[in-house]
Amino acid sequence: MSEYSCLIVEDSPMMRQLLVFALARVKNLRVTEADDGVDGLRKLASARYDIIVTDINMPIMDGLKLVKRVRSDPVHKDTPIVIITTEGSQEDRQRALQLGANAYITKPIQAPQVIATVKELLRID
Amino acid sequence: MIYTSCLVAKDGDALRAPGPGTIADFSPDSTKMADEKKTQSDKTPPPDLKTERDRFVKSFSRGARLTDEFIAEYDGLLERLSALEAENANLRAQVAADRAVRELVQKIERLEAEKSDLLSRTNRAEAISNQFTTRVQEVESEFSNLANLYVASNQLHSSLSPRGVTRRIKEVLAQLLGAERYSMYLANEGGTELVPIASEGVPGGELQPVAVQGSLLGAVLQSGEAKVEEEGDPSQGQLDRPAAVIPLVVDERIVGVIAIFSTLAQKKRFDAVDFELFRLLGQQAAAALVSASLFAQADRRLPGLEAFLDLSV
Repeated sequence: MSEYSCLIVEDSPMMRQLLVFALARVKNLRVTEADDGVDGLRKLASARYDIIVTDINMPIMDGLKLVKRVRSDPVHKDTPIVIITTEGSQEDRQRALQLGANAYITKPIQAPQVIATVKELLRID
Repeated sequence: MIYTSCLVAKDGDALRAPGPGTIADFSPDSTKMADEKKTQSDKTPPPDLKTERDRFVKSFSRGARLTDEFIAEYDGLLERLSALEAENANLRAQVAADRAVRELVQKIERLEAEKSDLLSRTNRAEAISNQFTTRVQEVESEFSNLANLYVASNQLHSSLSPRGVTRRIKEVLAQLLGAERYSMYLANEGGTELVPIASEGVPGGELQPVAVQGSLLGAVLQSGEAKVEEEGDPSQGQLDRPAAVIPLVVDERIVGVIAIFSTLAQKKRFDAVDFELFRLLGQQAAAALVSASLFAQADRRLPGLEAFLDLSV
């Protein structure tokens, strides 16, 4: 069975912990954590990931800039990206999707929704 | 018809047969004489021969007629037999077809029964599968709730600085409960006033100490019972009509409250896990804050071993 790798980019330790707990329920998914966008880019440069889950509101580099950078990276330009943010408006959702995000989850997150979204994008049953 | 012709020929012979001396006399003269004689005798046969001939002809005619009738009847019977055989064949085919139809009907009934049985088993299997799916969803949801509670508790106690604890309380409120505007109050020494110590989304000018007497926040402080807006939309809450007010407890004493004035727009109601989080915050947030404050007052020095020697049970 294939093994997948996921990069979580989130500045809140609590949210990271929640996401790690949720994604631990997905079989054969290895999760790596990054504190912010810059840390995320550093980790993306050193390894290949099958999916990226990122917050939007982060210090140093926010999630939208990260999405833009990932989409111009030849290695990860097609990697699915899930955006997680407190912003629930249609406008923010559209902005993230236009930049190349594949899915959008609003806080407070629900673990089953995160799991379902990641599974769908990775095409895992 | 063949029989009839033969009989006619015989009849000719028979007509001539009764004449005496006609068989052995074959000379030309005698023949001629015989012919003359014959002609003469034909014209006038003897009465007894004529009678016998007529009787014979009559009898023969009757026989011929009977034979014709017999043949006609025979032909009719043959036709009838042929028709009966054809009818019999049809009936046999019909019977065979009927049997085949009966067998098919029986087979269809058997298949229908099997189908019904299979459908029944499929329905049972689907019902079990649905129950299983529902159970899995419930377990996943329960797991998610427990994960939220574990993470909240873990985060509340992962810092020993008052600022760190306050930041984590705010994270629990924002990230797990979806609170958009909220404030944490602690009661003053006299217990007459609730003083805001941390908040989010509330303009500074609107954040004032609240008198315990005559206020909703004070009522929660005095009763120790949380007040949660369960019917309405918590995202529509106001400063004077908070969506939820949670008492903060330390060592069974109520020391303050957390007021969630409104939630994020997408948070339309509080779920069961939110009430668990209210309880967790009420029981652990203030305790974590007090512990962190005491640790800070002690210049972040850990207590010596002597502080724990009397704990043995």
